[in-house]
Amino acid sequence: MTLTAPSTTRAVSPAPADTAPRRRRRLRSAGSHIGLLMVTLVVVAPILLMVKVSLQSDADFAAHPLSWPSHWSLHNYVAAVHAMNYGRSLYNTVLITGGAAALVVLTGSLAAWPMSRISRRWTRTVYQLFVAGLTVPVFVMITPLYMFMRDLGLLDSYASVILAEAAISLPFAVLFFTSFLRSVPVDLEEAAAIDGAGPLRTYWHVILPVLRPASATLVITLTLAIWNDLVIPLVLLTSDAKQTMTLDVYSTIGTHAYSTSQLLPTVVLGTVPLLIVFLVLQRHIVAGITAGVSKG
Amino acid sequence: MRLTTRSAALLMLPATALYALFVIYPTIRSVLLSLTDAHGVIGGSFVGLDNYREAFQDPQVLAALKNTLVYTVVVVVVQNALGLGIAYWLYNSPAVRSIARTGLLMPAMMALVAVSYLWSFLYSPVGGPLDAVMNALGLHGLETSWLGDTHTALMAIAVSYMWMYLGYTATIYLSNYLSIPADLMEAAALDGARGWTRFRRIDWPLLAPSLTVNMTLSTIGSLRVFDLPFIMTDGGPANSTQTLSYVVFEDSFKDFRFAYGTAVAVLLLVITVIVGVLLTTVLRRREVAA
Repeated sequence: MTLTAPSTTRAVSPAPADTAPRRRRRLRSAGSHIGLLMVTLVVVAPILLMVKVSLQSDADFAAHPLSWPSHWSLHNYVAAVHAMNYGRSLYNTVLITGGAAALVVLTGSLAAWPMSRISRRWTRTVYQLFVAGLTVPVFVMITPLYMFMRDLGLLDSYASVILAEAAISLPFAVLFFTSFLRSVPVDLEEAAAIDGAGPLRTYWHVILPVLRPASATLVITLTLAIWNDLVIPLVLLTSDAKQTMTLDVYSTIGTHAYSTSQLLPTVVLGTVPLLIVFLVLQRHIVAGITAGVSKG
Repeated sequence: MRLTTRSAALLMLPATALYALFVIYPTIRSVLLSLTDAHGVIGGSFVGLDNYREAFQDPQVLAALKNTLVYTVVVVVVQNALGLGIAYWLYNSPAVRSIARTGLLMPAMMALVAVSYLWSFLYSPVGGPLDAVMNALGLHGLETSWLGDTHTALMAIAVSYMWMYLGYTATIYLSNYLSIPADLMEAAALDGARGWTRFRRIDWPLLAPSLTVNMTLSTIGSLRVFDLPFIMTDGGPANSTQTLSYVVFEDSFKDFRFAYGTAVAVLLLVITVIVGVLLTTVLRRREVAA
């Protein structure tokens, strides 16, 4: 048996000196930064182009597809806001997204607390059941869900969409809250117990406040997913008056003849609210995206 | 606070009830429904595996199966390779990191519906911006009706999907990069490891956790792709962009063949679970080894 002895004779070789003079190295790194910004610009370009063209007339766009428009006009937007009934679809979307997000945060955090503190077979089984939900494609449950909502008399109601979106979002919420709570020491809860607080008081005065940063991140992630979802509202909602914004964008695309100046403003109007939310709260969004890795 | 079993169960009840009623129950019903001949509200008598037998001989389902698998493999490989490359670039460019990441993430904030329409517009064969760009570059010969050609339509859809989620993938890899201890990177630099050597010896094994997450996310996401083909091509031309989700929706809510559509959905579920378990097992083992 041969053992490879650690070679003690090998001198720790210093890093090979970077032969490029410092100025050239700095130039290279500047080049790499500019390259990265160019790549970013290419990725963002379709969005910028969309906004540009939405402010042009069809004729103007046909004449100058890529160049600066000869004149800007909000005319398309005025028409689109009317056609979409923008105020109403914004109201519907906020109501559905907000309702579902509130339901998920409340029930999800209530469930995650015991799951993170008690490790018995039955809590682990329930937890595993939630984990399994992450892989179930929405299309597997959509037809029975539709039939069930019909039997409950909930078809074409806000409640049907809120309940369905909330239930589908729960697996991620339960996982997210549970892993967050596992990293929080139990001291506060024990202090609350010594003060004589029952479970509900402890939940309300200790757990919910402790979870606040996680809840903020979760709400934003949920907002993105629910606001942008097409399938659930498409199947469960039928009346025009209850359409969400995404559904509205979809039906505008489906019913209008092809006209860039009619459709692009609709798409921009459907997209801009969330882009603004993203730009303001991107720290939370990045936290939400990366939650799976660090806690994995 | 010592939670008793009873209070713990009560606290877990609302979420579990909601989840059981609107996710687990429909999923189980789905499996049962797929064994009947339900057609809209009519029917519902037990027919065993007939729907599955029919599905495996249905050219539409077989085409959808092939399209879904091809689409998934292309998206998973290309998106992860590009995402990893961009993350490496972001990691090594701290000065512009946050602005670049913001820009790259913007498409992921859009609804798939909006992305679908935006890319249909970019691809449009009559004076579309993409053709205008290619004209400007002198590539007249390559112009084609991207979404209207059976050879390019599926890949054109894949490109718009990858455009949307590239920043997302890169952000996950980047966060893993940033969690690598700095002294490890410094030690590697002292040993003279840089460039490709450092990537292969240090970065790649240490990025195992984010590789698992990204591979799983992009696989599950692209296996269930629906909105893009539904809106951009409506499954055409000639079935070339029909995916399994698309077939489920068409069979169930256009033709009202509830049972048959659901059988296809169960197939999709089985494929998703098998691929998911395989990926996680293989990649997690790699994480431990690394």
